[in-house]
Amino acid sequence: MSQPDSAMSFIKASEIWLPEGETLVFGAGDYGPLAAFADVSSQSQFAHGEGLPGKAWAEGCPIVLDQFDGSYFQRTVAAHEAGLTCAIAIPVFADDALKAVLVVLCGDDAGHIGAIEVWEDRDDRLHLEAGYYGAAEDFGTASQDVVFAHGEGLPGGVWSAQMPVLMRQIGSRHGFVRGESAKAAGLTHGLGIPVQAPDGRTRIVTLLTGADTPLARRFEIWDARPERVGPRRAAVRIDGICEREGPLWAKQNPPVDIVTITAWQGPVGQVLGSGLPHIVGNGTGLPAGYRSMVALPVYHGEDLAFITAWYL
Amino acid sequence: MERLVVIGAGMASGRVLEHLFEAGAPFEVTLFNAEPRGNYNRIMLSPVLSGEKAFEEIVTHDDGWYAEHGVTCRFGEKVVAIDRSRKVVVGEKGELPYDKLIIATGSAPFIIPLPGHDLPGVVAYRDLEDTNAMIAASSRPGAKAVVIGGGLLGLEAAAGLRLRGMDVTVLHLMGHLMERQLDEAAGYLLKKDLEKRGIEVLLKASTQRIEGDGKVERVVLEDGTVLDADIVCMAVGIRPAGQIGADAGLTCGKAITVDAQMRTSDPDIFAVGECVEFDGNLFGLVAPLYDQARVLAKTLLGEDDAFAMRELSTKLKVTGCDLFSAGDFADGEGREDIVFRDPARGIYKRLVIENDRLVGAVMYGDTADGNWFFGLIKDQTDIEEMRDTLIYGPAFQGGGGASADPLAAVAALPLEAEICGCNGVCKGQIVEAIGAGADTLDALRAQTKASASCGTCTGLVEQLLAVTLGDSFDAGGAKPVCGCTDLTHEDVRRLIKARELRSQPAVWQELGWKTVNGCPTCRPAINFYLLAEWPLDYQDDAQSRFVNERNHANIQKDGTYSVMPRMWGGMTTPDELLAIAAAAKKYDAAVKVTGGQRIDLLGVKKEDLPAIWADLNAAGMVSGHAYSKGLRTVKTCVGTDWCRFGTQDSTGLGIKLEKKLWGSWTPHKVKLGVSGCPRNCAEATCKDVGVVCVDSGYQIGVAGAAGMDVRETQRLVDVASEEEAIEWTAAFVQLYREHAKYLDRPYKWVDKVGLDWVKEVLSDPAERAALNERFEISQSVYRKDPWAEHASEPEAEKFQPLADLTMEPAE
Repeated sequence: MSQPDSAMSFIKASEIWLPEGETLVFGAGDYGPLAAFADVSSQSQFAHGEGLPGKAWAEGCPIVLDQFDGSYFQRTVAAHEAGLTCAIAIPVFADDALKAVLVVLCGDDAGHIGAIEVWEDRDDRLHLEAGYYGAAEDFGTASQDVVFAHGEGLPGGVWSAQMPVLMRQIGSRHGFVRGESAKAAGLTHGLGIPVQAPDGRTRIVTLLTGADTPLARRFEIWDARPERVGPRRAAVRIDGICEREGPLWAKQNPPVDIVTITAWQGPVGQVLGSGLPHIVGNGTGLPAGYRSMVALPVYHGEDLAFITAWYL
Repeated sequence: MERLVVIGAGMASGRVLEHLFEAGAPFEVTLFNAEPRGNYNRIMLSPVLSGEKAFEEIVTHDDGWYAEHGVTCRFGEKVVAIDRSRKVVVGEKGELPYDKLIIATGSAPFIIPLPGHDLPGVVAYRDLEDTNAMIAASSRPGAKAVVIGGGLLGLEAAAGLRLRGMDVTVLHLMGHLMERQLDEAAGYLLKKDLEKRGIEVLLKASTQRIEGDGKVERVVLEDGTVLDADIVCMAVGIRPAGQIGADAGLTCGKAITVDAQMRTSDPDIFAVGECVEFDGNLFGLVAPLYDQARVLAKTLLGEDDAFAMRELSTKLKVTGCDLFSAGDFADGEGREDIVFRDPARGIYKRLVIENDRLVGAVMYGDTADGNWFFGLIKDQTDIEEMRDTLIYGPAFQGGGGASADPLAAVAALPLEAEICGCNGVCKGQIVEAIGAGADTLDALRAQTKASASCGTCTGLVEQLLAVTLGDSFDAGGAKPVCGCTDLTHEDVRRLIKARELRSQPAVWQELGWKTVNGCPTCRPAINFYLLAEWPLDYQDDAQSRFVNERNHANIQKDGTYSVMPRMWGGMTTPDELLAIAAAAKKYDAAVKVTGGQRIDLLGVKKEDLPAIWADLNAAGMVSGHAYSKGLRTVKTCVGTDWCRFGTQDSTGLGIKLEKKLWGSWTPHKVKLGVSGCPRNCAEATCKDVGVVCVDSGYQIGVAGAAGMDVRETQRLVDVASEEEAIEWTAAFVQLYREHAKYLDRPYKWVDKVGLDWVKEVLSDPAERAALNERFEISQSVYRKDPWAEHASEPEAEKFQPLADLTMEPAE
């Protein structure tokens, strides 16, 4: 098995911005070897509506920025120097209150395949609001006119279940709605995440990844709803897949072997405790073989309901 | 080393091998499997179908595992016979001797032998081949799937196919989904959840045949519905695959019989899994299979253990559908329900208690405490001390004293707990408002909007008032329908319409009923409100009717019944009289002429009812509905045909009115009278609707009474023509049907709403026309003779016993 390395991923950097009054301040970041960009970022802050994080806050929904030149992105020069080509900002709202903005920065070339999409509910169907496909241009083109009904495909499945879903082999056996072009692009896995917004509209963020140049090498979904775990602050890992360990869900029935964490226990437990996204960039507390992790909370109203995490 | 041969590489035998190898058992193992692969987690095929898992993830034992343990694998080879005399199994590729043999052949899907069941494209849902066939079928854009069977497997298949992008319809023969694991309320929520995913669910759907030219193309239902289908998945159950044991002469019942050590009637042959029968029980869930595997491994190792039946719980593997079911939740004598509903969050919990023990639990939407309840069921824990707070789960137990007070659960809720889901009002806001002086429900509604929308949290808000204000809080207020709800009749009627609730389970859940199926007080009312609002969608529920309405006859003090045929406008014929006389003699009935101008046959035995109805039907007569909350009679005088004072054809108008209105259900009984002149021989001025004919036309009065209360009618309108009289009368009856509280006679209803309002509404021609139109839509369903339905087989057979003993009849 190859050594995990962010240089081999579509995702190059991740950062968290936290509201402080009317400003977003730097919370945490993992920039790998991109030290110069990290320096610029850690000294930045954004007002409401300013820059990519501020824009996501103001608009109250995920934003995909597929090119920095001529845009409101404020770190364009440093980003170019770091080889970054696109970014997605995902605001995390607990009801109407902003908890944080997660920004994922990507860089691509012909060897790094992946896709990040935002689907939005319009007229009771999910339409593609924005997407970044990097080298998977044909797949991007094929996705433009696709709509999903409730329960249909990865976005529709997330929409109807109101919870994150991790799909495997999205391009195999023609099953995935855009399967043929996904298969041609080498995209095999998909993580769909519901994103709550103050305007009440449904938006789904999908991260699509390939086996050869994966967006991440390990994905996890944790269920933290009181309906599932009771009144204690805990979460159970309901699904996951790992290049090193294989499937990460309970094998027993009943699931006596399901993995449970409590608040502040390990990296994912930080999300449970703080209610904020969490980033690890130095391997501390991560499963063997992983250097970085991004964990994103999913809220239902004011309550933390799920946690998704991806590792490199 | 002893030679152990295993037939079947499923989950049960796989677990046996794991136990044996862990214990270092000295066996030389050969494993046959008809499927061309080894052991995989079959119950996880659903997420493979949906794409949420890859098949590789659900493989339990791969080639490396078998090699590591020295297992000789003969996969893809079926065992065709067992020769016990020579102790060999006969595989398709040759014989193999054994010292010990395990039969683990599992089960086979049950295929309904419908016409067309063998067409290509009709699949079961049992193995990877079935799963792959369904995945392949989903490849065509717009492809349609029909799943026959709304049990666990069928619904998992449906959800998976939908996620694959197919148009999916589930056909289920019963009245609610997963009826073996869920009660009707949880089944309702599950159906709603699946429909949100775009899956169409048809209940009480009986499949007649599957059609197609060389492959499946459509499914035809008994009622003539045709559903296009590219694939049909039949998931209607399994049956043990134990034929090979029977052929070998092993003792079999419905499956291969085993003792508590999993030994068959041959001491060297064992059986495990779904192919066995133990103590009369068959198996389909994995938990007991694993128990069997543990016992069998110990038996083979020479250790003591015994298999015992245990309680089971159920989980549906559809992402986002949280349900839990355990134990026995059927109603029964001596059993008591505790019900909790949170309509805003789609939560339903029901606990069934018998002799201070929890015997069953059904939960939907919030299953966090499922395992705790399951433990109470398994351990038969005495729950008397925590009965009042049991439904709130373990978090509220253990304190005694205050925690035994049901209000303590509300008091213990955190301030941020949401009380009113509609308006997003949390406990803290309510408590703050109470502290600021809002000491009544109305004041709280005005200040916080809590319970001001759907009203289902009214009880909680009142409890918060009680907790905060103590004895100084007086609930008072409008009277609820009954103890099952805090809502008034008016609230319920409004919400049934506004929220488009079209079934009793929908009302119970969405309006937060505190009981499972309502009670004898509320069920008749809800049944009426539903059929009045949704005549085409809602099916009248006989179990929710009073006994006389259920039996279509009036029960008398001695337990016999009275039978009264309809006499349109009080008119009859010699032939009808002869038929009535014959029936009276045949069934030994007393004969009474009634005040409503009809003939009552008294003293008919219940078992004779279908027969006497058939006899009267044969003479052209129909039920007089003398027992119903509906139109009773239209009393008339002889009018212009015979009377020298008559001004109009009162008999003719009475007959027309009766033929328009008969069969309709109303909040209470409705009696009409039509008098041909102001001398009023038909006593029309003390009827619910009374028409008095005059030279210039028709004077229509309403809201009269001549029972416990005596009231003269109030003039609604004077009209010139018979057509207008009929239109106004029907409009009035429909307005009464749509607005009155159940069991309010028209005079009580008019007292409440005021005659002026009734006049104002009905004086609008468009409104009158709309009321008539809605009345006719309803009558398209209900203008029919119930005797005819119940006089013929098989209805006559079903007539006497109550169909559903879980529902206490309305009395």
